[in-house]
Amino acid sequence: MSVTPATMAQAARRTDARAAIRAPADPFAMVRRGLVYLLLSIAAFVSVFPFLWMVIGTTNSSADIIRGKASLGGEFFNNAVTFFTQVDALRVFWNSAFIAVVATALTLLISSLAGYGFEMFRSRVRERVFALLLLLLSIPFAALMVPLFVMFSQARLVNTYTAVILPTVASIFIIFYFRQATKAFPTELRDAAKIDGLKEWQIFLFVYMPVMRSTYAAATIIVFMANWNNYLWPLIVLQTAENKTITLIVSALTSAYTPDYGMILFGTVLATLPTLIIFFLLQRRFVEGMLGAVK
Amino acid sequence: MSSLKLTAVHKSYGSVEVIKGVDLEIKSKEFVVFVGPSGCGKSTLLRMIAGLETISAGDLEIGGTRMNDVDPSKRGIAMVFQSYALYPHMTVRDNMGFALRFAGVAKDQIAIQVQQAARILALEPLLDRLPKELSGGQRQRVAIGRAIVRNPQVFLFDEPLSNLDAELRVHMRIEIARKATMIYVTHDQVEAMTLADTIVVLRDGIIEQVGRPLDLYDDPANQFVAGFIGSPKMNFLAATIVEKTTSSVTLELTNHGRARLALPVSGGAVGEAVTLGVRAEHFGEPGAGEVDIALDIDVAEHLGSTSYVYANRGGEALTIEREESRNEIGMQTITVSIDPVRAYLFDARGQRIR
Ligand SMILES: Nc1ncnc2c1ncn2[C@@H]1O[C@H](COP(=O)(O)OP(=O)(O)OP(=O)(O)O)[C@@H](O)[C@H]1O
Ligand SMILES: [Mg+2]
Repeated sequence: MSVTPATMAQAARRTDARAAIRAPADPFAMVRRGLVYLLLSIAAFVSVFPFLWMVIGTTNSSADIIRGKASLGGEFFNNAVTFFTQVDALRVFWNSAFIAVVATALTLLISSLAGYGFEMFRSRVRERVFALLLLLLSIPFAALMVPLFVMFSQARLVNTYTAVILPTVASIFIIFYFRQATKAFPTELRDAAKIDGLKEWQIFLFVYMPVMRSTYAAATIIVFMANWNNYLWPLIVLQTAENKTITLIVSALTSAYTPDYGMILFGTVLATLPTLIIFFLLQRRFVEGMLGAVK
Repeated sequence: MSSLKLTAVHKSYGSVEVIKGVDLEIKSKEFVVFVGPSGCGKSTLLRMIAGLETISAGDLEIGGTRMNDVDPSKRGIAMVFQSYALYPHMTVRDNMGFALRFAGVAKDQIAIQVQQAARILALEPLLDRLPKELSGGQRQRVAIGRAIVRNPQVFLFDEPLSNLDAELRVHMRIEIARKATMIYVTHDQVEAMTLADTIVVLRDGIIEQVGRPLDLYDDPANQFVAGFIGSPKMNFLAATIVEKTTSSVTLELTNHGRARLALPVSGGAVGEAVTLGVRAEHFGEPGAGEVDIALDIDVAEHLGSTSYVYANRGGEALTIEREESRNEIGMQTITVSIDPVRAYLFDARGQRIR
């Protein structure tokens, strides 16, 4: 390459830029930044390590895992085969997916409607009802479990998808989340829509929902994960193997007389995949939603 | 027909009354401006006309039909909001056509109407953009366009044009105001003076005065309107009535060494404490009026064509407007005269004494 003044100038600019990165004006800023990176790396390692260990475990035999082997092995295929012969994976995945998808859709619809209503409609008792609702949040699920089971058995709904889905759809936490988010929703948009001739339900459907899509994305991740990983209530209410979810099945594998850890970890990784996929699909919106951005 | 009639209209939020009985008639195709200080109820009144707030008591008629309980979209009105309230997830085209879609207008008809409005407002190149991709002025035009598309009988504006460029403002005044009745809210009295056929001055939920801009300027009904209309604000001087005949009263100015002047009014009583109102532009050269008063100058602003002298005496601050005057530069005091014919008299409750 011939050296022209232009390329020299370019090169000079590039080295200038590099120098600027290497030698910040304030040496303390360097130290501070280094510390931040160090802490972040530790935090990242702590949160990523179990996941990494789980993935590595799928390639090792049960015996190796117990011995503490933490490097890749050659047992992945065997583990997969054992898992698929012991578990009716298609059926179990279908159960989980159906329950999680339907429950997520219903929860978002019903709880966002409630949160929207709480924020948009003035009433004298509104704050009191809302406070009561938040108070209910403090009742542990363990206390509700038995009466809930009695209710569902009287309604002859035990061992159905409905029984798993129904108690989750009016989520107080999600109602609260949507009420908070709705505070950032401009009321003038609702007024404009009224003048444009929309009914209340149309305003919700055609204005509120699209405007709040970041909030919905964030809520989708939270609710989907909660439903996919839901354990205790499905454990109680789903009684036959053909109705059970992946969470129940994988955890049941551990209670075998000699648990096959390689195979179990394979199942665990499989069970984790859908939430990961949902998260990466909605990641950008999730961050916006958590920041409360109405774009 | 697009006339409007408000009869004894009230609005309360719980026990707080914010509109306290408004009677108003607006003729078809009139340009009416609501002005008043912040919190006086301008937006509330407008929103009641639009149907966005319920009317606690009284009647609202649009085009001769009682509209109290009619759905906002069926009142023949369109509204431009202060924040524009464009739907952020829709293109300019969809924003403008949204109302028509819900009114069941055919697709190709919507396209034609949107196109027409876009042409009037020079929005054609922007039709496929989202609101966030527009400048403030462009958003404003879209908001106006969204209103125009609905072809309303009555346009309602809640302080929307504050940063509208002058050309568009004139354009709007001509293009839109010809076809429909306009009700325009502002707290800027200059804007009110320039735009209105009729100004409605509101304070604390009641109408203080209704009239043409210059009528309000020349003949205010009370001290509030006198102080609100006109820029700079009218000056008020404390005074006492010391003599009275059937056609005039003589005042003594409290803060000006008991200087006296006679005003041609027939009201008032001897001994009554009153307020004399004089506009900044109506102070005369010394000796030109009936009485001269001397003032201490605080600041003088020279704008070239006009100068404003801010002065005081006895704790009473006054503003004097002088045309092409540079005389006040470096001066400590100024003497001006008051012409009784151009002065206004108000009683202790702020009502005009005529
Ligand atoms: N939802 C409400 N509940 C109680 N009071 C309200 C409510 N909305 C408005 N007000 C009160 O009604 C009065 C009139 O409000 P409004 O918005 O009409 O004022 P405005 O004249 O438009 O003022 P601005 O020039 O500041 O916009 C105010 O005192 C306000 O506090
Ligand atoms: Mg207002």
